[in-house]
Amino acid sequence: MYRLNSVRELEHLRRRLCEERQNITTTIMACGGTGCQASQSRALIAAIRHELSQQGLEGKVRLRATGCHGFCEQGPIVIIEPGNVFYCHVAPDDAFEIVSQTVARGKVIERLLYTDPVSGAKARTESDIPFYQRQDRQVLSLNRLVDPCSIEDYIAAGGYSALVSVLDRVAPEEVVKDIKASGLRGRGGGGFPTGRKWTECREAPGDEKYVICNADEGDPGAYMDRCVLEGNPHLVLEGMMIGAWAVGARKGYIYVRNEYPLAVKHSRIAVEQMRELGLLGNNILGTSFSFDVAVARGGGAFVCGESTALMASLEGKVGEPRPKDVHTVVDGLYHKPTVLNNVETWANVPAIIRNGSAWFASKGTKGSKGTKILALTGRIKNTGLVEVVMGTPIRTVVFDIGGGAVNGNPIKAVQIGGPSGGCLPVSKFDLPVDFDMLREVGSMVGSGGMVVMDEGSCMVDVAKYFLAFLQDESCGKCLPCRLGIDRMLEIITDITEGRGTLKQLDLLEELGETVAETALCGLGKTAPNPVLSTLRYFRSEYEAHIKDKKCPAGVCKALITYSIDLDKCNGCGVCLRGCVHGAITGKKKEAHIIDAQLCQKCGICRSECKFDAIRVV
Amino acid sequence: MLQYVNVSIDGAVLRATKGSSVLDTALEYGICIPHLCHVSYLSDIGACRLCIVEHVQNGRSRVTASCTLNVEEGMVVLTHTDKLRKLRHNLAELLVTQAPNSRAIQDIALRCGVKQVRYPFRNANCVLCGRCVRVCTEVWRARAIGFVGRGKDRHVEYVLGVKPDFCKQCGNCVQICPMTITPCDGPMKPGKEHLCSQCESQLMIADQNPGSCVWCKLGESFACGRYA
Repeated sequence: MYRLNSVRELEHLRRRLCEERQNITTTIMACGGTGCQASQSRALIAAIRHELSQQGLEGKVRLRATGCHGFCEQGPIVIIEPGNVFYCHVAPDDAFEIVSQTVARGKVIERLLYTDPVSGAKARTESDIPFYQRQDRQVLSLNRLVDPCSIEDYIAAGGYSALVSVLDRVAPEEVVKDIKASGLRGRGGGGFPTGRKWTECREAPGDEKYVICNADEGDPGAYMDRCVLEGNPHLVLEGMMIGAWAVGARKGYIYVRNEYPLAVKHSRIAVEQMRELGLLGNNILGTSFSFDVAVARGGGAFVCGESTALMASLEGKVGEPRPKDVHTVVDGLYHKPTVLNNVETWANVPAIIRNGSAWFASKGTKGSKGTKILALTGRIKNTGLVEVVMGTPIRTVVFDIGGGAVNGNPIKAVQIGGPSGGCLPVSKFDLPVDFDMLREVGSMVGSGGMVVMDEGSCMVDVAKYFLAFLQDESCGKCLPCRLGIDRMLEIITDITEGRGTLKQLDLLEELGETVAETALCGLGKTAPNPVLSTLRYFRSEYEAHIKDKKCPAGVCKALITYSIDLDKCNGCGVCLRGCVHGAITGKKKEAHIIDAQLCQKCGICRSECKFDAIRVV
Repeated sequence: MLQYVNVSIDGAVLRATKGSSVLDTALEYGICIPHLCHVSYLSDIGACRLCIVEHVQNGRSRVTASCTLNVEEGMVVLTHTDKLRKLRHNLAELLVTQAPNSRAIQDIALRCGVKQVRYPFRNANCVLCGRCVRVCTEVWRARAIGFVGRGKDRHVEYVLGVKPDFCKQCGNCVQICPMTITPCDGPMKPGKEHLCSQCESQLMIADQNPGSCVWCKLGESFACGRYA
């Protein structure tokens, strides 16, 4: 690689790369994202590569290990061009067949195609699958076009053209105005208008300014930032460069969780490649713009995702939030004006510049524009990453894209926005995915985690889980967050263990509101949301725990007993062998009995029983 | 030369020194805002949140700690609305149930109107106000002690767990600690923690003049900014 000294040289390189690529028409795109790697996609890619060389197709077929395709539940996923054939659940052993049949002869292997669980029909391409049909994949769809470790792929796919157009002709003020007009809002949780943030930073006094990419994603069940940064780091970097140019920053940081090794690796490779090409450094592409990026690994605390804590951590101090009465756009990293945006926010910037702010503003609702990536997880058929237009009803996401409940149990609630979000009942499913609408009902879009729960989940237990998570992750600096969450957890534990009183419910509500009002940082201010929202929509469950000393969902161990239905039990003895506590007795072919004294309520017998004879009351 | 700005606190337009905090300004003018982690000669971290006020901006009010909120021209601040009194009461209740074994904490709870508590008492030795850490770091520049751990495990400790050479055992950390002031009847035994409320008579005048400092003796024990 050689250093590019002007915009024309970059365009020349792009043309040359495109011409080179025209000769090879067949491409195998295998997902190398974390989700698919967990189901052996690395071995699969190696097997395909081996197969290609065995069959002498090496120079004629391009094999690309891409980032996440979104449909993680069906992984590993392989897509083959031409024909756009979509294979799912591909094992390394299938490599021979794929190469010899589909790649060499163009024959589709029926066995590997996606089967629609409702109609039973086979889907040949991505667009035939209901999971993809209702989505609008603006950011995620780019993942399949590039190998995250190859800047050539990104440039050939039209990468850095937005940066070029900005550097070439547009004044920084115009860029800020464009972003403002697009209505882009922060994707990390708060939903703060990005344009306003940039304007304030641009107008803040000082020559030294910083841009930071917040990739310290830590919500349980959320992984969209991870997949964007892993799958397309150059897209994020291009967004950061445009932002830096707009606000006048010369230095940027990517603060990425150390628990995301692939994201750390790919962003480091990307930065290195950009430096080699001269896309980072002094006088980028022969212009007066100088900019450099450093990749910083996170300190391993959830609270470091909070802007001031993140900056403290970057400075080498303890990652603790500080009061934000003066905003970070004025007094940020090293007390200099700083723009901190989420991965997804940065990834949206190049498209806005390329297609215009009107294009972006045409998508979505009045207050929330564009698309949002959601991490759909929980008791649902199609788990994975989903990108929908803002304003899509939750019902569409859960039932049409997610495919509904996994085992026929009716869906009860969805938890949106990670530990700081709220649980919404099915009756609220017609609400759109929209920053303002969801905040009104006590939840939030947040970073976009969406955990679906069915009748088997106890909402009190869910609230307890999130409280315990936040108590563990709270930095402990301010009193309401440290002691308030602790006391809330104490009360909720009382309730789940049958010691609760109705008076405590009001106390819980009052305490939650106190913490939300008085806590120092965003973590504390939103920490009571899971409790407050479940109290609001599922109060009857709390009351059942307190008044009847019963857990309706059969989750809270102190309030349930296991017993065997004597009519259903045929004495097969599976439960008896499975019980690790020796609590089940009974003769063969006779109904068995559980000793309530010995039973530890682990639930093994229930999952082992094939006749549904174990009852939980 | 000192520069001044005009701020409105509880409806009174006051002249405040530019760069000072709302809490300092209020205390200077005799407006009572209960506080614990604030010490006049130390930097503010906004940890105890007792000094919360409502900052009214563009018709919307935001609850924030007054010790870390700097005065600005034309600022409107409310310090004793019903909402704030309730929030402060709840915070003081959390504080006193966590660490009842101190006259300072008991006095603060009384001043914030805590007459009975709804949580079981604990008997913690530290409320993590951070006074000791800041006096060691900022006044003596020793940095001998600091916060260690996160969340529930957060505690004050020698850096690296052993007494470093640069700790000269000056004892300032002990002097400034609100937990070293024992209740008048002596330390409470474990399991015998209770609300002291022997000084309730101090509230006779204070209750009639909410929001203004009446030089009650409740501030003495923890070095209220008025006594400093």
